[in-house]
Amino acid sequence: MAMFSQNPLLNGPNYSFSEAPKFNAPEGARQHRFDPYTDNGGSTLAIAGADFTIMAGDTRLTSGYSINSRFHPKVFKIGGTTSDQSDATLVLSVVGFAADGEALKERLDAICKMYRYRHGKPMSVKACAQRLSTILYQKRFFPYYAYAILGGLDEEGKGAVYSYDPVGSYEREQCRAGGAAASLIMPFLDNQVNFKNQFIPGSGEGHALQERERRPLTRQEVETLVKDAFDGAVERHIEVGDGLQMMIITKEGIEEVILPLKRD
Amino acid sequence: MDHRPQAWGRPRDDVYGAYDASYLNNSGPRTVTQSPVVTGTSVIAIKYKDGVVMAADNLASYGSLARFTDVKRLRTFLDTTVIGFGGDVSDMQFLDRHLKELATDESYEVEPTLDDEDDEESSSSKPGHLNAANLFKYLQKLMYQRRNSFDPLWNQILVAGLDSDSKPFLASVDLRGTSFTSPSLATGFGAALAQPIMRKYAGTEEDAAKLTREQAVEVVKECMKVLFYRDARSLDRYSIAVVNKDGIELKEDEQLEKQSWAFAERIKGYGTQTV
Amino acid sequence: MTSIGTGYDLSNSIFSPDGRNFQVEYAVKAVENGGTSIGIRCKDGVVLAVEKIVTSKLLKPGANKRIATVDRHLGVVYSGMLPDGRHFVDRARDEARSWRDNFKTPITTSDLASRMGNYLQAHTLYQSVRPFGITAIVGGFDAQEELPVDGQVGSGPSCGAGGKNPDKKYGGPFLYMIEPSGLYWGYYGAATGKGRQAAKAELEKLDLTGEGITLEEAVKEAARIIYVAHDDSKDKEFELEMSWISGRDGPTKGLHQEVPKALREEAERLAKKSLDDSDDEEEEKKEGDKMEE
Repeated sequence: MAMFSQNPLLNGPNYSFSEAPKFNAPEGARQHRFDPYTDNGGSTLAIAGADFTIMAGDTRLTSGYSINSRFHPKVFKIGGTTSDQSDATLVLSVVGFAADGEALKERLDAICKMYRYRHGKPMSVKACAQRLSTILYQKRFFPYYAYAILGGLDEEGKGAVYSYDPVGSYEREQCRAGGAAASLIMPFLDNQVNFKNQFIPGSGEGHALQERERRPLTRQEVETLVKDAFDGAVERHIEVGDGLQMMIITKEGIEEVILPLKRD
Repeated sequence: MDHRPQAWGRPRDDVYGAYDASYLNNSGPRTVTQSPVVTGTSVIAIKYKDGVVMAADNLASYGSLARFTDVKRLRTFLDTTVIGFGGDVSDMQFLDRHLKELATDESYEVEPTLDDEDDEESSSSKPGHLNAANLFKYLQKLMYQRRNSFDPLWNQILVAGLDSDSKPFLASVDLRGTSFTSPSLATGFGAALAQPIMRKYAGTEEDAAKLTREQAVEVVKECMKVLFYRDARSLDRYSIAVVNKDGIELKEDEQLEKQSWAFAERIKGYGTQTV
Repeated sequence: MTSIGTGYDLSNSIFSPDGRNFQVEYAVKAVENGGTSIGIRCKDGVVLAVEKIVTSKLLKPGANKRIATVDRHLGVVYSGMLPDGRHFVDRARDEARSWRDNFKTPITTSDLASRMGNYLQAHTLYQSVRPFGITAIVGGFDAQEELPVDGQVGSGPSCGAGGKNPDKKYGGPFLYMIEPSGLYWGYYGAATGKGRQAAKAELEKLDLTGEGITLEEAVKEAARIIYVAHDDSKDKEFELEMSWISGRDGPTKGLHQEVPKALREEAERLAKKSLDDSDDEEEEKKEGDKMEE
């Protein structure tokens, strides 16, 4: 019996500690209790106009019932050549888990900057939109827990809004709300931007009712819509408030406006 | 007889059988920190006119046991930055050593003096020196990287000092890499108990810019008192630091003053008390 | 150098029949051509100084520092082949860091000198390497008080860490000089490079072994010695670079730092003045001699 012999065992326990069998778990496998995600609340909103796009977000950062910060912007200029982003053409909004949102923003910004230095021109919204989707999907099995919206002007100068889910599924839309109060704001936008459920009075009964014809909204109208949407969200959602940050993208550049919201 | 050194002093195989080393095998996956062990409670900080005041008590708890009562949870970096640690104390030590290494790297760089006329410029804004804002960014990336590898440093950290424009800087980062800034900040219980008090005095950046150093210190002391009254994992001995362009003033063994427990009489509805 | 051409000078690790390692001796030659470096150990600190020869008008004044910080309390200056010196500093930093990793406490000056001595000595043993073409002066201030270890959170026992004799003093200023052979000694005053002979003569005049001089005096003496040791006929331009290390209660708070601009300029002014004065004296003497004739 090998066990009782004086010779070292070929395969089995032996004297030397260093000969003790090593871990039999696959290399790098880990067990944990740590939850790498949190929800930091907040809400974002983007509306594309005929020759402009407005991106907006509140500035509150929460964890649970605590307000961590009353001024933590969620809307960022992307791909400028300088640190102040004064010559940026694209805007990204992120909401969800703030740390992932920030990491995502910094990554996309770096990529857009590199594109710009290499090609001598800013990235188009369309190209950037596809790239952002790829970045998100690359982390499909440990996702960036962030709802991103990308805004800018397309090749024809029309307002463009691209919205994403955390793993990179995306589409171009007229408008999109994201984050905590998305479910409150989105139906409002459907009605007010795309004139859903609006009919021409007296145009008929039932299916014969004619839909109100869609028309592009003016910048003034959109700004008012954004403010109203957030005033409504603040009233009904505890994670939304403190400040409203708006970026208005036109062919002249990007204008940033910060307005107060209720701090309750 | 087996004369190999490995066999010295061990029971003989032929009598007792081979040694069963199976208990030495950790057959599970490699484990990393899954919960903090020895912990510090709240850290609080508030901005004022020309700097930041930060405080944390000197207690490190082992669960509900007040294990170490002279633990300094405010750390300094290069005489420009104060870092306050809540959460796991061993992770704080790791970070403190890491920061020391970083400070040594910084001291390798000797800035030229022969032709720099701005000697009076504060050390925090000198190019080539990490200021509080730079250091914070570094810590934020470090914390986020560790959370991405599922091996977090179990802390919430406040960083105070001056930014690149020599304005007061205060920011927070936690074990998930979530970071934010505010005129006043508090970790742990402080977020619920001290933050509302501090926000009365520094609700906005403009309000904070009106506060004097004395006022800020007074507010922080008041908050430390409230925390001691209500946070069972707190202590009445604490550290307090003031950081501004002249550097850091750190006092590490302060005693809470003017406590009054008269309010305790009026607390009803807890424990064995029936009337 | 009668042995040149005998073949014993072509390699490390080969002794000549009369017991010499010629490669090491050639390395010393490289040092003897470098700008003068000195170190002074005084009663409350250490001063390092170097005569930095300006080799080109195109070099930015004050840039390209020659004195390096190894750990917060340790500085190094060297004469000889500058790239070798840079590597010496890199290695010293690694040693200081690994000491900290292991012991959570700063490396002492003597331990650093020992490790670097070993490192240089190792470069005299193998065919595949050449010895360092530098002589380095290492200055440091080891903490005299009981310091917390790196990352320490509490105060520890009130009696201190123990293991220390209460009657004995620990720490203080230290100065070592390490030569290409790996030989190193502790010094009160050390000089190397071109002007070492003159500098040593001046250092010997100072009272370093007895009462000792103060840090500020040492800064002024160091500046003067570099000016004395400088040979105007060979090199026209030079810059003076100085650093100092005091105890925790001193001006640098235990750190190795560059001497502040104001103090350095004052020291340089005094150095130039004393040179002019001695020149005048000599001239007067000469004239006096003539008169007698």
